[in-house]
Amino acid sequence: MATDLITSFVLVMRNFILLIISPYKTMRKISLEKDLYQPALIIGLIFIYFKFIYYLRDRIYPATLIYLIFVINFFLTISFFYLLSKLFNKNKKEIKFYSFVFTFIYSMLPTLIWFLSTSILYIFLPPPRTFSLMGKGFSIFFIAYSLSLLIWKFILVYLAVRFSSKQNFFKVLTMIIYYLIWFIPYSIFLYQFKLFRVPFI
Amino acid sequence: MKNINFRMKQKMNEVFSIEPNDLGVNILTNYFRKITSYLKTAPFILVIPLTISISLFLYIIFGKLLVRLVTILQYGY
Repeated sequence: MATDLITSFVLVMRNFILLIISPYKTMRKISLEKDLYQPALIIGLIFIYFKFIYYLRDRIYPATLIYLIFVINFFLTISFFYLLSKLFNKNKKEIKFYSFVFTFIYSMLPTLIWFLSTSILYIFLPPPRTFSLMGKGFSIFFIAYSLSLLIWKFILVYLAVRFSSKQNFFKVLTMIIYYLIWFIPYSIFLYQFKLFRVPFI
Repeated sequence: MKNINFRMKQKMNEVFSIEPNDLGVNILTNYFRKITSYLKTAPFILVIPLTISISLFLYIIFGKLLVRLVTILQYGY
């Protein structure tokens, strides 16, 4: 088991680098993966992140509860895309649930990087940002950095839906719009309860 | 030889696991393929200069509001 875990960890790291270099080919390969240790490792990393930020946040809710809500959000997301793909696809046997799990869990990497780096920056460069030259410079850098990760996230989510649902561009776009229709109000609801400020998706 | 054939077959199955995108109009499809080809491999070569330009542009347009937005985002983790 230990060797399997190490192998999966190496594969996760490899895929992570390849998702930066060639997201299309890598996501295509990931959609055919069957090694369950890989999503388990990524979901474990996310759990460690929630434990870490518990000490930085106002500690309103326990880290495990926030993590469980994230897991629920995650499964709601993949179930939604899975069911919608089944509805859109003529050949229903082609659609595999584990393909959604693998591709969507890998598309969590930009999210994890952004949240982790923002929380580390919170320690070393705590807000509020000033209007000094350094403050403005950092703000421009931070926006550029966040936008880059957001675009990368969009690319990965699009590819995740495309390879898992096997639909064309327009149908993938329609599915994402349907998803946003319920997910935006749901995120506001989570924000109202101070569970997530920026949705962890 | 059998091994090579098997690997070739596997690769072909992987490549053709989805149908190529067709937007209905030839010109649109061609443009779509051209644009997405930049995003399929090393997208950050295009993304980083683009986001730096966007954030500079946003700073020119919104000024101090952008600094405030960063403060809000820094509390957003």
